[in-house]
Amino acid sequence: MSRAGSTAALAAVTVALGAVAAALPWLGVSSYVRTLVYYACYYMALGQAWNLISGMTGYVSFAHGALAGIGAYATVIALNAQWPVAAGLAAGAAAAGLASLVIGATSLRLRGAAFTFATLFFQELVLLIVRKLPAAGGPGGLVLQEIYPTSLPYVLMVVLAAVATIAVAALRFSRTGVRVLAIKHDETAAVAIGIDSTRLKVAIFCASAAIAGLVGSIHAIFVGSLFPDVVFAVEISLIALAVPLIGGVGTAMGPVVGALLYVGMREVFQVVAPGLHLTIVGLLILAVVLFMRDGIVGAAARAWATRRRTAVPAEGG
Amino acid sequence: MALVEARAIEKRFSGVVAVKDVDLLVAEGELLGLFGPNGAGKTTMFNIIAGAVRPTAGAVRFRGVDITAVPAFRRARMGIGRTFQVVRPFRGLTVMENLMAAVPSAAARDGRPADLAALLRGVGLEKRANDPAAALTLGMLKRLEVARALALSPQLLLLDEPLAGLSDRECADMLQFVATVRRSITIVMVEHNVHLALPICDRAVVMDAGSIIAEGTPGEIRKNPAVIRAYLGEDAA
Amino acid sequence: MSLTLFFQLLANGLVVGGLLGIVALGLALIFGVMRVVNFAHGEFITLGAYATYLLVTQLGASPLFGIPLALALGGAIGWLIQAGVIARVTERPELDMLMTTYALSVVGLGAFAAGFGGDFRSYSAGPSGSLDLAGVVVGWRSLTVLLTCLVMGAATLLLVQRARVGLGLRALAQNRDAAASCGINVIASERLAFSAAVALAAAAGALVSLIGTTTPTVGHGWVLDGFVVVMLGGLGSVAGALVAAFGIGFVQSFASYLLDDSWARIIIYLLLYAAILVRPHGLLGRQEHA
Ligand SMILES: Nc1ncnc2c1ncn2[C@@H]1O[C@H](COP(=O)(O)OP(=O)(O)OP(=O)(O)O)[C@@H](O)[C@H]1O
Ligand SMILES: [Mg+2]
Repeated sequence: MSRAGSTAALAAVTVALGAVAAALPWLGVSSYVRTLVYYACYYMALGQAWNLISGMTGYVSFAHGALAGIGAYATVIALNAQWPVAAGLAAGAAAAGLASLVIGATSLRLRGAAFTFATLFFQELVLLIVRKLPAAGGPGGLVLQEIYPTSLPYVLMVVLAAVATIAVAALRFSRTGVRVLAIKHDETAAVAIGIDSTRLKVAIFCASAAIAGLVGSIHAIFVGSLFPDVVFAVEISLIALAVPLIGGVGTAMGPVVGALLYVGMREVFQVVAPGLHLTIVGLLILAVVLFMRDGIVGAAARAWATRRRTAVPAEGG
Repeated sequence: MALVEARAIEKRFSGVVAVKDVDLLVAEGELLGLFGPNGAGKTTMFNIIAGAVRPTAGAVRFRGVDITAVPAFRRARMGIGRTFQVVRPFRGLTVMENLMAAVPSAAARDGRPADLAALLRGVGLEKRANDPAAALTLGMLKRLEVARALALSPQLLLLDEPLAGLSDRECADMLQFVATVRRSITIVMVEHNVHLALPICDRAVVMDAGSIIAEGTPGEIRKNPAVIRAYLGEDAA
Repeated sequence: MSLTLFFQLLANGLVVGGLLGIVALGLALIFGVMRVVNFAHGEFITLGAYATYLLVTQLGASPLFGIPLALALGGAIGWLIQAGVIARVTERPELDMLMTTYALSVVGLGAFAAGFGGDFRSYSAGPSGSLDLAGVVVGWRSLTVLLTCLVMGAATLLLVQRARVGLGLRALAQNRDAAASCGINVIASERLAFSAAVALAAAAGALVSLIGTTTPTVGHGWVLDGFVVVMLGGLGSVAGALVAAFGIGFVQSFASYLLDDSWARIIIYLLLYAAILVRPHGLLGRQEHA
């Protein structure tokens, strides 16, 4: 089938690019470029995590930044307790996955905006609670005691971005992916053909949260210290959804394009309008939702289809 | 044993009694017509059998098993397929993906793509397999929905107004298709166009204002005074 | 706890409850008429607060003039945003609608942060002194807030329940297509509802600036509590919403005193999770029919 073929091709390209990106620290590239690549992968992985639940099921999460934050805290606490790195990362993914079950088990039984509300409040609640927890360092935060070489989080983040992208692509064209998209298009009809929408939504959200948690874990190793107001800033949850939205929701390539674009934009805006970062991202999301619903990837695909056979197909998933 | 046995069903929507004290039996293998004026409670009965709506009183049995508390997705897996009065395709998915979504997991593991192709041919959509559902006409969407319900391999098929909105030509095709499907599957069909639908039914039930007012063979139903009154009442309104 | 203290906290709770009621009323109006969850509502509160702050500090006017100013400003901006942005997404999938108001909220948050920085701003002009009712001290400012909320709330409810425009809004809340076919001007009604709700939010902001400090995120906190009220109280019943608003007001007031502000918020948000479980279709779990 051509779809399996294109997924495999995408996987091959992603792996190749990922390998090159991962090798950059040893290729004598300037640290500025390496940092840019790192952040592109950070946003890409976080964007894919959001894409997995919100892009595929249509249930909007405003809490992916908070889920990443939970992963970050769990990992730093574990590493400070002398756990090996792999176990520390696993702790991050598991903590975020568990948190997602708490949100998901309650609100994903319901249709509509209940889930979005649950995530909105979760975002606030986590910050409030973390600031109260002595184990999490309270308002002062935590510092990672051991210093790891930057190439460690760098390589990990590149790999995670590649794996997340391939996972979303593989899901999109699998039978399970079709069933997940069916929920997004019409949940009543999906249930009527035997799809256990609650279970599927909770499972996808859990996987998505685990990826977000890993993103946070790796980033915690990268930055080395955690301040609750920074780690749980609304901004990170915003970026998690802005990146796939700009690139193209529900497609594997969307967050890739979105992340590359966003990293570039951020560099420009930091010089041109340093204080207006949030506002600009907000306006960009508005523009995309109002005028370019399927993002850059979707718009490009439509332009391509128009050129190839003058007939414009109706919007696709 | 009846395939479906709905007993003493009542459904209220905050004050409105949509269905009251309805007993509906569907025998294995029959094509049952469910008729009645607007608001009679036909769709509500479908929703109750398929699990989209819980009755306020009464019980539903399927193959002798009480399914009153069974969620809709599990009823679909037990073999209850349905279409919707207002079509509900997965618009962003292709025609083939619409069917793929419905294939039960066990069947999917065995791999039966040929069946789906045959289904599409049956409803005349084989040429549109890779088009998004959003690109189809209403007539095609109605057929797609029937095919999607059949992809479940159901034992019972609930068709809610399969002819509504179709051209004469499309109506004839749909009736033809239903006539083919009924050989292997029990069907309950709600239809406003009694003249077209009644002749192919084995048996018919007529509802009005939430209750069953008549039941019998097509011949009996045509002559039933209560039915004539209910329909005249509707026409006069 | 002494009885005086108890009544004192009760009085504080009333003030918070009044403000929450106004905020929740706006949210419910927008959701009821347009099926839009307005995540940007809090930024309109902040807008009213900063407008009043500027009025007082730049023009030396009394903060009481901030209330009509905020109403007018909110009404106008609400009208423009409804026409320019919201109207484009009301017929779209839920994801688009949620993203739109969330993005508006972020735009507002960013703009306030850029314009005013993170400082806590307050002023001393306006009603001062307090009323001593058998030991329970109620500031004139708090009384002003409570009274204004009651008047605005009553006026809005009268408008919706009694006036002709209100009939249009209620019809719209029931069924958009049917309302349109009865000759109700759907577009104008939606614009009116949004604009009125935003005006209320901005006025609430003016009042918030009177009794507290103004920061770029001041409205954000209020609107989250407003959502809790709407979810707990349900959309259909005014009484339910009032009970929820004052209930949250009391929880806030007592928990803030007995524990601290953060714990008060934690408790309220946990209440929300309970609400989601108990009232799955309360306001926002839009029940769907096959
Ligand atoms: N979800 C609901 N909420 C409130 N009332 C409902 C709901 N569903 C149906 N009703 C009411 O129940 C009654 C029966 O409706 P139902 O849709 O079952 O009728 P029907 O026989 O299918 O009519 P039609 O021929 O128009 O499709 C009607 O009065 C209808 O308004
Ligand atoms: Mg019906």
